[in-house]
Amino acid sequence: MSSTHYPDFPAQIRHRGRLAWRWHVALIASLTLATASISDGQTLVIEGGTVHSLAGEPFVGHVLVVDGLIQEVSDSLTIPADAIQVDATGLHVYPGLFDAMTTLGLVEISAVAATSDTTEIGRFNPHLQAASAVHPASEVIPVTRANGITHAISAPGTRDGIIAGQAAVLHLDGWTVDEMAIERSAAMVVRWPDIATRIFDRSTFSFRSRPFNEAKEEAEEGQGELRDWLEAARHYTQAAGSTRTERSLELEALARVLDRGQPVIFLANAARDIESAVDFAEREGLNMILAGGRDAWKVKELLAEKRIPVILGRSQALPAEDDDPYDRPFRNAGELHAAGVKLAFSTGAGSRFGPGGPHSTRTLPYETAMAAAYGLPREEALKAITLYPAEIFGLSDRLGTVEAGKIANLIVTNGDPLEITTQVRHLIIQGREVETANRHRSLYERYRTRPDAR
Amino acid sequence: MPDLKLPSCTERAWTGCRAAALMVGIGMLSAPAIAQRPEPPPFYAIRDAQVVTAPGHVLERATVLIADGLIEAVGADLEIPADAWVIDGTGLVVYPGLIDAMTTLGQAPPESGPPSAGPERSGRDQPTIRGPEDRPQTTPWKSAADLLIDDDGRIESWREAGFTAAVTVPEGGIFPGQATLIHLGESEKDERVIATPVAQRIVLAGRSRTFPGSLMGRISYIQQVLSDAQYSAQVRKLYERSPVGRERPLYDRAIDPIREAVEVGVPFFLPADHGHEIDRMLAIAERWQLRPILVGGQAAYARAAMLGTSNAAVVVNLDWPEADKNEDPDADTPLPTLYHHRMAPSTPAALLEAGVEIAFTSGELSGPSMLFEKLRTAIDAGLSVDDALEALTLGAARILGVEDQLGSIAAGKIANLVLASAEPWAEDVEIKAVFVDGKKYESRPDDEESEPPSVNVSGSWALELTTPGGVRQLTAELNMKDDGKVSGEITSERGTRAIKDGKVADDMLTFKTQRTMGPRTVEAKYTLTVTGETVDGSLSVGPRSMDLTGERTAAAASKEDEGETPAVSNEDFEHAMSLYRGPVRRIGSFAITNARVYTVSDPTLDSTLTNATVVVRDGKIAALGQDIEVPAGLEVIDAAGGSLIPGIIDAHSHIAVDGAVNESSLAVTSMVTIQDVIAPADIAIYRALAGGVTTINVLHGSSNPIGGGNAVLKLRWGSDADGLRFAGAPAGIKFALGENPKRSRGNPPPGVARRYPATRMGVMDVIRQAFTEAREYARVRQQAEQGPKGTLPPRPDFKLDRLAEILAGERLVHAHCYRADEILQLLQLADEFGFRISTLQHVLEGYKVADEIAAHGAGASTFSDWWGYKVEAYDAIPHNAALMTERGVLVSINSDSGEEMRHLNQEAAKAIKWGGLDENAALRLVTLNPAIQLGIDDRVGSIEVGKDADLTLYDGHPLSVYSIVQKTFIDGDLYFELEADRQRQTAIDDLKAKLHPSEDTDEKESDGEDNSEPQTETMDAEPPPPDANLAQSEARS
Repeated sequence: MSSTHYPDFPAQIRHRGRLAWRWHVALIASLTLATASISDGQTLVIEGGTVHSLAGEPFVGHVLVVDGLIQEVSDSLTIPADAIQVDATGLHVYPGLFDAMTTLGLVEISAVAATSDTTEIGRFNPHLQAASAVHPASEVIPVTRANGITHAISAPGTRDGIIAGQAAVLHLDGWTVDEMAIERSAAMVVRWPDIATRIFDRSTFSFRSRPFNEAKEEAEEGQGELRDWLEAARHYTQAAGSTRTERSLELEALARVLDRGQPVIFLANAARDIESAVDFAEREGLNMILAGGRDAWKVKELLAEKRIPVILGRSQALPAEDDDPYDRPFRNAGELHAAGVKLAFSTGAGSRFGPGGPHSTRTLPYETAMAAAYGLPREEALKAITLYPAEIFGLSDRLGTVEAGKIANLIVTNGDPLEITTQVRHLIIQGREVETANRHRSLYERYRTRPDAR
Repeated sequence: MPDLKLPSCTERAWTGCRAAALMVGIGMLSAPAIAQRPEPPPFYAIRDAQVVTAPGHVLERATVLIADGLIEAVGADLEIPADAWVIDGTGLVVYPGLIDAMTTLGQAPPESGPPSAGPERSGRDQPTIRGPEDRPQTTPWKSAADLLIDDDGRIESWREAGFTAAVTVPEGGIFPGQATLIHLGESEKDERVIATPVAQRIVLAGRSRTFPGSLMGRISYIQQVLSDAQYSAQVRKLYERSPVGRERPLYDRAIDPIREAVEVGVPFFLPADHGHEIDRMLAIAERWQLRPILVGGQAAYARAAMLGTSNAAVVVNLDWPEADKNEDPDADTPLPTLYHHRMAPSTPAALLEAGVEIAFTSGELSGPSMLFEKLRTAIDAGLSVDDALEALTLGAARILGVEDQLGSIAAGKIANLVLASAEPWAEDVEIKAVFVDGKKYESRPDDEESEPPSVNVSGSWALELTTPGGVRQLTAELNMKDDGKVSGEITSERGTRAIKDGKVADDMLTFKTQRTMGPRTVEAKYTLTVTGETVDGSLSVGPRSMDLTGERTAAAASKEDEGETPAVSNEDFEHAMSLYRGPVRRIGSFAITNARVYTVSDPTLDSTLTNATVVVRDGKIAALGQDIEVPAGLEVIDAAGGSLIPGIIDAHSHIAVDGAVNESSLAVTSMVTIQDVIAPADIAIYRALAGGVTTINVLHGSSNPIGGGNAVLKLRWGSDADGLRFAGAPAGIKFALGENPKRSRGNPPPGVARRYPATRMGVMDVIRQAFTEAREYARVRQQAEQGPKGTLPPRPDFKLDRLAEILAGERLVHAHCYRADEILQLLQLADEFGFRISTLQHVLEGYKVADEIAAHGAGASTFSDWWGYKVEAYDAIPHNAALMTERGVLVSINSDSGEEMRHLNQEAAKAIKWGGLDENAALRLVTLNPAIQLGIDDRVGSIEVGKDADLTLYDGHPLSVYSIVQKTFIDGDLYFELEADRQRQTAIDDLKAKLHPSEDTDEKESDGEDNSEPQTETMDAEPPPPDANLAQSEARS
């Protein structure tokens, strides 16, 4: 058993009292750990493109960026002499795209365990941070941003545990994780203990079904454990000033989600599990974000009423049941939007164990487009990969639109970013133009010039 | 062990003797299962009974005379011999004894082996199967007659219900052996046998880590054995004609019994429930000239007419399918499954009406009471009472070839009779006596006077058994009659067992269950006090007793409910099913006007026509152009604003496959083919149509350097497997290189050896060895063909046949590959053996060696933008398709996925984005190019006059993410239409709402029949008695 297992933590807190130290000082220190943002005094201007600010109607104009932030967006602008100029004539300026759940930086090659840092041992790991394992030099990151994704959530998963750890919001550019981090800890990731009657059996490498009651019992047991952990975190917070309480990194981390604090991402897909998660989050006073949400359309009224935002997994997915409409997953987002649910898209949510491999994160706009083809208004689709995820994670003062004061994560394209044939011409992250070069393009260019071998 | 056999044991009469002696020997551990029986003179007369001599033939107040095991006479005014024991049959009916046409009765059930026989033999001890030549799971020499034991406790319960004979079959394996017809009397094992073999048995179910491990492997293997039997016959015939210069054919116990069965017409039991399984088995029977008896046949209602024109008989499994009690209450059972549940009991009536000979098997049912309940369901579904009797008597006898001896009441036949108050399956029947082989058996009346019941225990119960090993869950379904008699069954981890001697006296519920342990029958006694909705008491097995408690989870469905007409009629069901599965509309001839037509016909020019008309005649494109006049009277589809493209072709798919897509046991499995396991009802077909796909290349998986055959299908949704086949498409086969065939991920389970090859060196070696062998095989075969008449050709080897086809250029190779170096290796190897690789599949590093691929003439079928999921996919780039195209390779983009295939148009668009293909070149990646790769471009792939009218209509640009497929045509018939899809969905939803109205109401409601609580997982209910091991070792001595 590793030390991350706390089957009986309140007792442990009591018994370890003697070894206590002044942990709360350390807690405060950890909360104020700063993220390094770019502050190089550089000025950049995007000239003459159609600006789709998503805060108003598109217009032809300029975007002035100073020191990493958007300073001005207007159709008449005095361009500073020292500004780096990006000619967007005939092109379109959009906010950079935001994938709300990925494993970017945590996985290099999915099948090679040595290159994967998504899934820690242990059932309750609230203290683990994806940001502490992100590999800034991952080849997947430049491949992804070349298609217009400028920032993303990178989140841990779990195999059979419940609290996976903390997700980070990252710029998809930076020499170090500190340079990449927008929020090192943006949300707690919880695999909601669901009633899973169809489970994957590793011994036969196939799905098998198991009795409902057995699955239900296991789910309830897991939910009870999660409740106990939250309760323990409350005790721990209350005992904050005590000199007798031993420091617990786990409870310290978990305490941040209490009283509608840090958002908690609940991974859940079936209607009954979403319902039980919503109920749980309400009773425990958690700031819930639903991720996955395969059946969210079935409980859209509930989600709208409780104002639970949803991070959808891939739209390009198969229906859960044989008799579902062929386009059931395609229509999920449109129906949620119509019911008033706030939603964001992701390429990683969907599995009950956490986000999937990061290699197709670049297809985020096409997953979104599928929903747009099947009922989600196009502008809403675009917002669901720019503004809405920023709002969901409380970052809309910094990200999500082309407006003064926001971080300059922008893309310049030759058309609708949701259309496959559209090209990303310029990529601006934290106010600097970033190369769209990547492993794929360099391999392409290298082998394209291979001398004729026939 | 001392020899305890007593002299009197040799006497025929004392059947229980051995068991009794055994019991003496081991100290009277428990009572013998069968008591010592006296043997009265074998002469009987049943008089004044109604005699049903055969179904539909009734004699009133007649007499049946029995002597020496046979029926001596039957008639109205017979003189009763003085030595006959007279039975007054007044008010009773005499029926021919019933026959259960497939059981394991009389044998020790395999599951009852001694639990202490030690740990399971580890896999290491099992021989590695090298191929069909090792004859895995093949014991056709084994006869059930040789597997009989003297006492099988189950026989009594069958007999008491009126069954006098049963077919008993060997279990285990693919060719388990020969079926035997036995009497269900009390006699020594050899005396039971009436006829053997009555059939050879073939089994498809089951899984194995060694060859054959998959369904397609089994089907291939079965046919190899049948082919070998045929070859053996040929060899023998030649030898008999002129032995000089020939080798004497040797005895082969695996082949000879099969050959003999085919030669003398011993029928084969062939398992098949669903339509496509029936088709499959009949094709095998026809190909190898077997006399088919289909076993199962539960969906034969859908094949009745076809079966009526075949020579097949059907042993219908009465264990009708029904919803799983442990099922997830939120699970959405597919409409076809619900339809099947509804229709299965109508199978017997449908088959008889079509003129098919049928019999019944109890299948996995726990006992005759369940069997009769299911039979009554079939009667409710249209089976006449006479026909039911026929199938259980004379019909079964005819199928088994024993109609001279059994099945009716006529002089000279075996005296197997039932004397009862009504049909044996009637709900309140009293079986007075059963005659088996002329011996009389009477069920002993329950003499005990017991109190009338004060509680009703009918319903579903969840029980908790406290064993020394922990608490175990079981469930019971009980049905109590007014007099307190209780019937039903109890379910544990080991399956479901019928309860015996169940009754309620006052508030005390008692019943028993039985399990056979080798020669012994182990009885578990349940004693429970009923208090309202709970029970409390004990379960005792031998001297051990365990606490048992439980509660009722659902009340029994009341009689009134059963009588109600169902909310959905069969006609409604059939209508919904016709919308669910099948073409939207057969059109054949029509015109599409005002469309933007992407003909993709010319690979060098932009061949797009705006505002064009396409005329379709009899499923073919008849005219095409901008100035075409639509012939009068032709249906016109106005496609203004839409675009028409050729139906999408997916060159790499694994949908519509029954069972595993890999026969992964061997490195070379060219003997298997996907053709054998097409699943025509896979919903993925419909979903693919909704994505505009009309033709797919269904491939074997990538587990082996040389995999199995492929199947090219046109997605004619609603057709059977034959109807899906793309007639005329060249045959193909799957190869695989790299990580998958070398099994770089995951180790084999303990005890199973790692398979060669484990490196790319080995992969190439396996392929080279296989072709070296195949070349020699083809040479010898050719020599034989050219030799003088009577030259013996080599034994047909399915594995080598297919490889020889590749060498002869008659089979396309579709090779899964990733890395540039392995691609080159394969191309060179193919050059070495003089064949061409048709397509490189995945070929993610194809862009690195595009020139070499083009030079070889191989096509490339790749993913649009998948990468990084494994090491050999780390250099994958989304420019692959475009770059290979640029350098002269014929490229397609495939899905390898039931999801991705639904938007292959978008995947094609990615080749515009990454690598800059033009629109037409991009569209050709999923239309014309895969057609050329599969050798079907003379028929499909582009919109050209004379080609099949396989068309996909979008509401916008075909490469736009916002475009939605509006219509999909195959051969001019409409197979998908967006509007019709919505109607289809409404029909499904409405029908299900009618079937389960409770879903819309309060879920907590608990008095409805559909609201039974799901049951907890059931565990082993009956632990073996402490002396079981001892008893078992005695039995072996």
